[in-house]
Parts: sequence; structure tokens; C-alpha cells
Amino acid sequence: MTISIWRYSHFALAVSSAIFILLATVTGIVLAFEPISNQLKPYAITNTDDIKLSKVITVLQDEYDEIVSVEVDNNNFVKASVFTFDGDSETFYLDPNTGKKLGELEKKAPIFEFATNLHRSLFLKSTGRFLVGLFSFLLLLIAITGIQLIIKRQGGLRKFFSKVVKENFEQYYHVVLGRWFLIPIVIITLTGVYLSLEKFDMLPASKMEHTEIVDQQSKEKLELSQFKIFNDIHLDELVTLDFPFSEDEEDYFILQTTSGEFYINQYTGNVLSEAKKPLVSQLSYWSLILHTGQGTIVWAVVLLLACFAILFFMYSGFAMSFKRLAKGSKVKNKFTKDTAEYIILIGSETGHTNKFAHQFYNALVEAGNTVYFSTLNQYDSYKEAKHIIIFTSTYGEGEAPRTAKSFEKLLPTIQQANSIKYSVVGFGSLMYPDFCKYAIEVDEWLHNHPNFEQNLPVFKINNQSFQAFKNWVIQWNEVTKQDLKVILTKPLVNRKKLKNFKVISNSGLNIDDTFLIELRPEKKLKFQSGDIMSFYPEDDNIERQYSVAKVDDSILLSVKKHEFGKCSTLLSQLSIGDTIEGKVNRNLDFHFPSYAKEVVMIANGTGIAPFLGMLNETNKDIKTHLFWGGRTKASFQLYASHIENATQKGYLDNFNVAYSQEQETKVYVQDSIKANETLISSALKNDGVIMICGSIAMQNRVLEVLNSVTTTTLNEPLSTFENNEQILMDCY
Amino acid sequence: MKNFKILAVLFITIIGLMSFTSMVESTKYKCMIQMTNYTGEGAYIVISLINPEGEYEETLHVKGEDDEWYNTVEEWWDFYGKKRNDIDAITGATIRGGERSISVIEIADDKLDKGYKLRFETAVEDQEYYTSDVEVELTYANVKGKYDGKGFIRYVRLMPQ
Repeated sequence: MTISIWRYSHFALAVSSAIFILLATVTGIVLAFEPISNQLKPYAITNTDDIKLSKVITVLQDEYDEIVSVEVDNNNFVKASVFTFDGDSETFYLDPNTGKKLGELEKKAPIFEFATNLHRSLFLKSTGRFLVGLFSFLLLLIAITGIQLIIKRQGGLRKFFSKVVKENFEQYYHVVLGRWFLIPIVIITLTGVYLSLEKFDMLPASKMEHTEIVDQQSKEKLELSQFKIFNDIHLDELVTLDFPFSEDEEDYFILQTTSGEFYINQYTGNVLSEAKKPLVSQLSYWSLILHTGQGTIVWAVVLLLACFAILFFMYSGFAMSFKRLAKGSKVKNKFTKDTAEYIILIGSETGHTNKFAHQFYNALVEAGNTVYFSTLNQYDSYKEAKHIIIFTSTYGEGEAPRTAKSFEKLLPTIQQANSIKYSVVGFGSLMYPDFCKYAIEVDEWLHNHPNFEQNLPVFKINNQSFQAFKNWVIQWNEVTKQDLKVILTKPLVNRKKLKNFKVISNSGLNIDDTFLIELRPEKKLKFQSGDIMSFYPEDDNIERQYSVAKVDDSILLSVKKHEFGKCSTLLSQLSIGDTIEGKVNRNLDFHFPSYAKEVVMIANGTGIAPFLGMLNETNKDIKTHLFWGGRTKASFQLYASHIENATQKGYLDNFNVAYSQEQETKVYVQDSIKANETLISSALKNDGVIMICGSIAMQNRVLEVLNSVTTTTLNEPLSTFENNEQILMDCY
Repeated sequence: MKNFKILAVLFITIIGLMSFTSMVESTKYKCMIQMTNYTGEGAYIVISLINPEGEYEETLHVKGEDDEWYNTVEEWWDFYGKKRNDIDAITGATIRGGERSISVIEIADDKLDKGYKLRFETAVEDQEYYTSDVEVELTYANVKGKYDGKGFIRYVRLMPQ
């Protein structure tokens, strides 16, 4: 239950305070420039810790008739108020080294004045102050629930900074930026709340208690520059020094430092009385500094970035929520739980799973079955049920997702009238170590329950692959002798955002129905090997993605033509000069690691494509190995010229190929990796990077081999290197 | 002839204008305001010269730079708000409870011993407003001295520069 509560509060708090937070953030962005612009002015004194107060007094005495006060503000500007020898009074910024005037006092710029007012009281005076304080507190709660959600998602506090799994743009950067900016945001909001409490007198009284010092050391009159205390205090500790109002001995210096206040006899320099600054006012000081960034460019920039981060969180958070709400559209059950033969139960955290469950529901209903659709949380007794089909994702480290939290407890308490056949479909991402773990657990619980009988073994679907889902439906049809058809509704594609690409060459099909096609964008486009090219054939609008190789500024794709593959067929028929619509998405997680000393590239089939481009990006200093698995020697011919070219230039140090159909025993790419154990372990040990591109099946086999290599030779599980971003993958 | 007329008009105008610019001597006074230990925002304080008829004659000093709050200093606002002379040169920051500040005010010497008064008017955001927190008869004897306040001001000290 816990995650849902955190997530729910995170969302509810965000919704309820969005407008105020938006306002405070936007004005906050403006205000962050105030300390920055102040620090860029020539008044800020950098070496305040080197300058004794007595020195400043001496230089001022030389230059002016009388000194009223000297002050160092939070910007490290030294201000002096003096009378000149002409009898004029002046207040100005001062160079404490020379006593010379640096400039007139500057008024706060009107834009900052306006933004400050809006930021702290929304122009509503006390009411506004209260509201701002309240919403600052709410934002603090949002940040805290956010931290809690990240800890849950990453699987514990210790993994807080481990690699974040990328599901989509909003989710990924919401989490990644969250990790870095939640701490500054907590500081901003906490200090904001503190400052508000201070305004409303909610803090304990912060009066300074003066204690008189009776014991006077000396009675002799001294020059100001001889006063011990003025020689002890440096400008970095000084807040203000008020000079005696008149020459009467009863009038004394009032010295305020960062730690306290002192009354000083104007003739002897004796401290007459002193007071320590109470904790409350010290905290107020730090709250102000931390909240406003006064006096330091670095922190002001952090605050500025944190404000931008809040804007991004608001955007990405709401974008995710809208997507989730849109996906969560309810199915209208035509049959009740006790009349349906087929029961579909879903366990979903973000609503992605619903899409597939809906498809299956529709297909079953279409075929004339009685179906009941519900969530695992609402598991109940089903009188007529023959089949129960469970679609579920996994949350965190094998925990139940939101709509399945109570299933484990419900299951043993409910008796079913008939024996029911069950099938479990797990959704997840291979990037998580506990891929579909919850689905496996559900499968086990049902297996151990007397009312249930397995219909199909648990089936795992990676990254919501529709293809994998179709494969499962085929299995289902075989076992149940049905002929269900699942169709994805035609998604909407904004064709205006697509760009035109011109075909430069097309190799034609080889023995494996594979071909290389070279495209050039008609307009200038930034891309890199490893990026993803997407096509959306018009008859179904379904996105097809191919890994890009950048060769001579054009895009090289390696495509396998499938018999019924609409997109691959379309591409294979293109000839030089034709154009096709598509787009290229940056894929930052799979770019060539030019920082590494050693790179091992592993691919099978068309997965070699990005590497063909990357072989141009590497150089003689980076040790580059390529492992490729194909069917026959003839399959390799398609890529031979690229490989030979790179070898000749000295860019490719080692090319290792495994053919599965060339000899009696099938050799796969994972076998050649196993045979090169030492190469792999030494590469990983030297901070080298392993890149894998190709089919998911190949990826799984390769990861198994890599894991056994690292555990036996390096005494570390593969996940250590994965978290270290030494394993990059792009598989399908 | 025509030129002469223009010159004559110009000459008279200049003489006329000069006669208005006072040649009266003025003196600067150091003025220290010590606040009581109230809690809350900094106080807006206006020091004005009040003529023998009890009307505002001149604004001598303003503590508080945000003119959004000037209307809280009500009586003075009636006087100043209509004309809004430039007071940038005689404006300083607000001071809070327990704090003190020394400012310099300039008063024409011919205003002394003539029934003029010096008025210290105070207002704090969301708190009280004191029309005459401190009010001092402007005499040669009074310009050096200490005067207790009735509101946010504990006392005011004056001293000729």
C-alpha cells in the first residue's frame, strides 16, 4: 500500500498547489538573477577575511570628517555612511582597502522589486504571505514524497544514484533530475517556510541578552586603530559598526558581528557589554542566505537551476499523469463476475498494462465469449469461470504494482467453485534486475493453489513489445484451440513533425533477406550512430524503429525484410532518389563512448548497424573489438566492406564472427564471447565499455555469459558494471 | 528695439526667479532614531517640517523605499501623495524593532524659533500608525537633545552637525 500512498500524495499535493508553485517558481527564476547581477557589480569585496576592521576605520578617518557607520551586507558590499570635510553627509559603497568611494547606493531594480513582492506575498500582503508560506510547505512535502518514491523505485537508499531505467522521456528525466534537485528544493522550501514563520512571529523570541562587563582593563584613551576588538574583527565577521552619536563618553560604539553584538567605549576601546546572537536569528540569517543566494554566484545558480527543475517536474509530472489517466480508461463489463467464463485480471502501476489487457478482452468478446475484466486487487470468487488470465507488471524489486497490492492476501481466503485454468502474462523491462518477478510469483501462488491449473506458462513481455504480445496470443490460440486476433488501434502520428529522407543507395536483398539502405535527410539534421530512426507506414501508423549508423553524413540502416513486414517490405522496395518520411530520435544511452580506452561491440544480425557507423568514430587509441553473430558467410558479405575499411585504417583491432549455419555445431555470438573470457574481463577491469545491439534473445544469452564471466573472474555480478554504465544495450 | 524688449523681459524674469531661490543659510542635523523592541516588519518613518499653522511644509527624511506602502503613513500621504516630489535623495531603508539609525536632515535656519515643529510619523505594515510618534518644537534650544517616542520609536536624538 505504501507506494500508492506516497504516489497519491505526491500527485495530490502537486495538483492542489500547482498554480502557486508555478508563480513562485517563475518569480524565483527572476529573483535568482538578483544575487548573480549583484556579484557581477564592482562593489563586492572578495578578501573580506583579510581586512581588519581597524584598517577600514583608519582609512575612513583619513578621508572623511566623521564616520556614522560601516556595514557589510549579504552581498559582501561594504557600505559607509560619513560626513565629508565639506559637511555633506554621504552613504556609498566603499573600497575598504583605500577608503575610496566605489559608487552610490543602488536601489533594487524595479523588476526585482516587483518579483520579490509577487514571490513573497502575491501582492496580497499578509494573506499572500501566509499562502506563500503554506505552499512552500506543500512543496516541501512534495519533495519529500518524491525522495521516498525515488528510493522505492531504485530499490533502496543505497541505490539512490544507480542507473535509472528509461521508460520514456518524462519519466526518465523526472527521476534523474529529481535525484539531483530534490535536495536544493528541500533547502529552498524549508528556508522559505522558516522565513514565513519568522514573519508571523511563530518562532521563539530572538532577543539578544546583553551582559554588562564590569571589569575594565584599562582607563587610558586610545586611538581607534589601537582598539583590541577592532583589530580582532575582520570584515567577513562584520555586520555593522555604528559610531558613537556624540562625543559624550556615555555614547559608545555598537558593533554587530555575525555572532553577536558589542557595546564599546569610544575612548578606551573596552567592551562594555556583549550579547550572543541567539540560535533563532542565526538560523534566520542562514535561511535568508540559502533562500536568496545572496553573496554567492554558485548557490544562486543552483537555486536558478532548481527553479527550472521545478518547472520541468511540473511539466513532466502532469504529462505522465495525463498519460496514465488516459490509459486507465475503464472497460465496461458486459458480464458479471459470476456469469463470465473468462476472467481477466490486471496488475498495473502506471496503466501501460491496461492497453494489452483491453486488446485481449476485446478479442475474446469479439469471438463470442463471456468475459469479465477487473484488477487483481478486486480478486473474488467466480462461479462460471474456466479461464483466468492475469496481466501484471512488477514494481521496484519484485513488488506488486498498484492495482495488485492486496492480491497475495486475498488469494488464500477465496475458494473457487470450479477448477480454473490460469495464464499469467508479465510485463516489464529487461533493464530491471527483477524482470517480471511479480508475475512469476503470481504464477507460483496459483500453481500451489488447489483451485487452479496452469494453462500456459508465465510469459514475459519486455518493454511492451506488441510483437511479443502477439506471440503469446498465438500460444494461447494453440492451447485453447481458438483463433483470437488482437489488433492495435491505429495510433495518431503527427506527420508534420516527420522529415523527408532521400534514398542514396539500396544494396538489395541478400541471402537472409537483409539489406542495407542509405538515406540522407533533406534538411540539415543532427544525428549520431546509435540514434533511433522511426518510420510510420501510413496504413497502420505503427512506429518501426531502426538503429542508425552515421556513414559519410548519411544514415545507414540494416534491415531484415519480413514476409509480412509492412515497413521492411516498403523500405526494401525503395530505389535511389525516392523519399520516405521518418524521424530520428537521439538515443543518448547508446552513443559511442569516446571517453573509454576499450570498447567491445556485440551484435547479431542487423544489430550490427550502429556499430558500422561507430567504427568511424573510434580511433587508433581506443581498443575496439567487434563480435558479430550471423547465419552464414554469405550473410556477412553485406557488411564486409565496412569491416575491412575499419580494419585497414587500424580502427578495428579485433573482429570476431560466429556463424550459426556454417558448420555442424551451431556457434552463436555468446559462444565466441565465452571463448574470449579474458578479453571481456580485462576490458571491464580497465573501465572499458561493452555495447550490445541485436535481438532480445541474443541479449539475454550474452548477458548470462557476461554475468558468469564477471562473477568468476572479477568476483562482481554484472549489475555492478551495468550500474557503472559500462554495459550499453539497444535491443529489440 | 524689438531685441531690447526681449532682453528686458528676459532680464526681469531672471531677477524674479533669483529672488525666489532663497539665500537663507541652512544647517545639517544628525538625527538618531532608536526603535522599541516591537516585532514585525521594518517601520516606515517620515520626518516632516510642520509650519506654525500645523500644516506640512517640507519632507525632510523618509525611511522606507517601497512607495507601495507610503499610503500607510496616512496624514503625510495626504500632503505628499498629491505632488510626489522627488525624495530619492532623502530616502533610506526601513528600520526594525530594536534597531537604530542615524540620518542627516537639513533645516533652514530661519525656521528655528518661529513656531515650526519637527514631526516623526511612523507606520508598520499591518500594525499601528502614529501620526506624531515624536514631535519637537523647532527651537535653538531643542535641536540638541533627546526626545522619547509614543509609538514604535523609543527615542530620537538630535544634534547639529
